[in-house]
Amino acid sequence: MMTDAATLAYINLYGILGAIPAMLEISAEAKKILGKSACSIGFAVKDGPSATLSFAGGRCILREGADDCTVKLPFGSPEKFNGLIDGTVTPVPTKGFTKLPFLLGKFTKLTDLLTKYLRPSEEDMADPDFARISTTLMFGVITRAVCQIGNHDRIGKASASYIVDGVIRLGIENGPAFAIQAKKSRLAPLPKVPEKVTSMMTFRDMDTARALFDGKINAVASIGTGDVRMAGMISQIDNVNRILDRVALYLA
Amino acid sequence: MHEVYTYPNSQSQFLRATKVIPSGVYGHLGPAEGCFIPVEAFPLFGDHAKGSYVWDIDGHRFIDYMCAYGPNILGYNDPDVDEAARKQREKGDCMTSPSTVMIDFAELLVDTVASADWAFFAKNGNDVTSMAVMAARAYTHRKKIVFFKGYYHGVSPWTQKIDYPGIIEEDVINNIYIPWNDTQALERVFAENRGEIAAVIGQPYMHGNFMDNQLPVNGFWQKVRKLCTDNSTLLIVDDVRAGFRLDIKGSDHYFGFEADLICFCKALANGYNVSALCGKDFLKNTISSLSYTGSYWLSAVPFAAGIACIEKMKKLNCPQILLDKGTKLRTELMKAAVEAGFDLRVTGMPSLFYLRLADDDSLMLHQKWIAECVRRGVFFTSHHNHFINASLTDADIAETVEIAKEAFDEVRSKM
Repeated sequence: MMTDAATLAYINLYGILGAIPAMLEISAEAKKILGKSACSIGFAVKDGPSATLSFAGGRCILREGADDCTVKLPFGSPEKFNGLIDGTVTPVPTKGFTKLPFLLGKFTKLTDLLTKYLRPSEEDMADPDFARISTTLMFGVITRAVCQIGNHDRIGKASASYIVDGVIRLGIENGPAFAIQAKKSRLAPLPKVPEKVTSMMTFRDMDTARALFDGKINAVASIGTGDVRMAGMISQIDNVNRILDRVALYLA
Repeated sequence: MHEVYTYPNSQSQFLRATKVIPSGVYGHLGPAEGCFIPVEAFPLFGDHAKGSYVWDIDGHRFIDYMCAYGPNILGYNDPDVDEAARKQREKGDCMTSPSTVMIDFAELLVDTVASADWAFFAKNGNDVTSMAVMAARAYTHRKKIVFFKGYYHGVSPWTQKIDYPGIIEEDVINNIYIPWNDTQALERVFAENRGEIAAVIGQPYMHGNFMDNQLPVNGFWQKVRKLCTDNSTLLIVDDVRAGFRLDIKGSDHYFGFEADLICFCKALANGYNVSALCGKDFLKNTISSLSYTGSYWLSAVPFAAGIACIEKMKKLNCPQILLDKGTKLRTELMKAAVEAGFDLRVTGMPSLFYLRLADDDSLMLHQKWIAECVRRGVFFTSHHNHFINASLTDADIAETVEIAKEAFDEVRSKM
């Protein structure tokens, strides 16, 4: 197998659902859906990840663990959890039945909106505001997926083992930027990009980033044209790029 | 002050190239793998070359310390090598039967290289490192190969890593990786894989990228040699990069041991395309048994060029010249760095020196300095060892140091 279910579960939880907090920061439509509702949904995956999405005050945070939540969704395996994300499995909560309307209502609308941003139609992408939000969210998903693959996927772990300690900045000129901390072969997304980083890879603009994400242009050729720039500890970038190849495999 | 170059023709030709060639320029000569940071500082296409210089398609001259990544050892377009090649080309090059110049070349290598009892020819370094590994497996009937971390032995699947695109687990499952200079690790893997290791393959010293180069510690190679002999494992020296720059008899000779198989390419014929695997007599029959050949491998022109190149290297005592010039350059560059307030580390052998500004762990400062050198006409690269060639003059070294100083000043002014 070129991919494994447990790694995909980590990507689905921390990468995909992990995009909801950012979506609520940058999408007016998402803010409108959430309104003033408050709820925390815990996802507990046997032999996989556990995390909680907490909604309150028009915002959302993702934190590790699923013990302190108002609605708890247990999954018997990574495959079951992955089924939730691709729409083939309906979760049954073990607690928080009074919050089911939030789960089935606003939360479902938020995940539908996230899907719209992450798998956009060409018509939607013609709207510059939509395209900006979509590309920003996709960039965040990819960054977090890199970390999960580096930490859990067997081949991704080999790539991560070659990454020297430090902070890798991935960014778009005049646009969003993300940072990955590499420490002892483990990768973690940082909440903010620090001023001093060890290496950086920067895309010329949103369109370039999007075209790369969609596989329409080649990253190596884009370095030659200056559409993609790298600096610093290039071996970090080189190995992150190897993991990026696997991101496409998992998110396809 | 030197002119600061820009490259409009290079950039437009690169765009043209991207339409019909994957990556525009792929591999180590390209801007991605070559780490051209920023890309605007580097020429992307060459026009012509002579001696220690290359000229790009924008008409700029560079003192070239990459030497085509090694092949240029006597100076580009060396008249003696080119004349030998020209004469052979008039007689015949790629023919149905090989020229006897192939025998002449093999005899010369056997007479020159300390550990060579025979020579087998191909085109690229990768051809002969791959053949060496095949030969080791054929001879020992074992699968496993030990590598030193930071190695580069070519681009065949067995040389790559499990996470590289197109590589499958089965390509690398028999690879064992140990740290450079760590004979205890080698002892351990021999103990853990008793009777299973076909070969240990290594470059004569660690000239990996993105890191200061490391020479072997005292007794390292002798211990490796003994462990290989004790375990009936072959010792392969990949001398593709360093070959003839340290010692005309081979880099194993320089470090005081004998390889079973030794691989040459780059400097073998001053830019004419030929590589060679040389080895001990006891492996000759094994080599004969391998199915291994190529359309152009027995072409005669590179053999003639190789003969002229080796004879001239011997006549000049080329390794000593390269050592002297490299040492002079290293001394002057480090002095200039100190005067400018920078911590420049120059590692590896002076004839294949590696540069790093150690003031900034991220290497961004180093990349800026390299870029400013290139923009002013000294072709350095950020993260690969450099190469000295025999035609480099004291005036070239002096000009290089002047440019390095200007580059230091430019970097300082932007800090």
